[in-house]
Amino acid sequence: MDTKAKIKEILINLLKVKPEELKDDVSLQDSIGVDSTEMVEAVIALGKVFGISLGAKEVTKFSTINDIDKVIQSKIAK
Amino acid sequence: MDKIAISGIGVVSPSGIGKRQFWANIKSGRSFVKKITRFDASKYPSHIAGQIDELEKYSTISPRLLKKIDAFSHMALIASEFALQDAGIDIKKENPNLVGIFLGNAIGGWLYAETELRDMYIEGREGVSPYMASAWFPAAPQGQVSIYYGIKGFSKTVVADRASSTMAIGYARKILAKDKLNLILAGGMEAPVTPYALLCCNTYGGLSTDNAHPQEAYRPFDKRRNGFVIAEGAGIVVMESVERAFARGGNILGLVSGYGTTCDGADRINPAADGQELARAIKTALADAKTEAEEIDFISLDGLAVDIWDNSEIESLRIVFGDRLKEIPVSCPKSMFGNLLGASGAIDLIITLLAMEHNLIPPTINLDEPAQNSLNYVRKQAQEHKIKKALAISRGRGGINAVLVVEKP
Repeated sequence: MDTKAKIKEILINLLKVKPEELKDDVSLQDSIGVDSTEMVEAVIALGKVFGISLGAKEVTKFSTINDIDKVIQSKIAK
Repeated sequence: MDKIAISGIGVVSPSGIGKRQFWANIKSGRSFVKKITRFDASKYPSHIAGQIDELEKYSTISPRLLKKIDAFSHMALIASEFALQDAGIDIKKENPNLVGIFLGNAIGGWLYAETELRDMYIEGREGVSPYMASAWFPAAPQGQVSIYYGIKGFSKTVVADRASSTMAIGYARKILAKDKLNLILAGGMEAPVTPYALLCCNTYGGLSTDNAHPQEAYRPFDKRRNGFVIAEGAGIVVMESVERAFARGGNILGLVSGYGTTCDGADRINPAADGQELARAIKTALADAKTEAEEIDFISLDGLAVDIWDNSEIESLRIVFGDRLKEIPVSCPKSMFGNLLGASGAIDLIITLLAMEHNLIPPTINLDEPAQNSLNYVRKQAQEHKIKKALAISRGRGGINAVLVVEKP
């Protein structure tokens, strides 16, 4: 599974949102109305699954799926 | 002070979810106390309760929200929806600044809290859900109900042990009488059927240990009483001015006309044995309602089924009602489903309103042989009786007393 698909899967299961609600190029705030507590949970979960250290400022509610994918790809590459 | 109308009832209880199912079971005198099955409680001295198993069936709350809230908030949301439906109120058409929420509970959201604490000790800091901070605390249901309906008016959560929801309703009446709000969702919710909450209730020492006979365990005022049984659920009512209820064509189920509260100031847990302060709370509520003791024709009892609590409750009634006490029908229907602690007063009020509506007093079950014969108990089965003015008594640990006077519209 590619990284982007994995990110979506994590967010869908974690935040209990429908797959069609998540859009690659729309921010999490605009697509699913994510709140700050949900973002804390999402950042922790993404960091755990990909085995990386992810900061709350690197992935925010203004990030799109594409943005998150980029951040995670770059961290995995290191 | 003005009489305030109750125009909608929402009930989530072991004896039924929704007004119709609840009343059908309550009037039949059927017990819903059973062995706890949610977790292995067999090693607890008391492992019986009024447990609700089918909450999800009655819920329209999304899985996304459910994972963020404790069961007590979930119950409050369901009871609020039932209450608004019963009142025929479309909350979207109300001015949100003039709608309030007044809820009471005694212990907070422990199912959520203890699950996360366990994760913290096993997995460390990152194992704890970030929703923990907003899920466990006693005011969480007030917050969730306000977010769900967009309610923005003056609101309050009352924590006063088992008197919490009666106090919340008394306070709500005061605010409505001062014309500060149009509408209030008032009552309480409690979810103590969890490993840690049950442990705390057991430590307190007031619980029945008759685990072999769950349905007969809670026996208020009976010679063989040996403590109460905990229960979970929520009771929420819609309160508004009589004029407003009439104007919108609402169905007025009852009027809250008086409220009184006092403290015993006697013991960390037990009430004062002489019943003086509970008697003063009753007298205060009667004066507030401009009602003479002679006019009261039904009393909803607190009935903890612990000697000092039951006896001091009778003492207080003797002080207020004298010889007439033998004539007034009294009952403690929570013997059928258990004590909802902070939500018990709201449930008692709801039962009183339904009894008024149906001219039928539900029984105190398991009251086979009264320890004292000074009261006119409705026991074994429901009794036909027209109630015009009733008294509903709630009490909490440390000697908290709260009393409502309720009238037929």
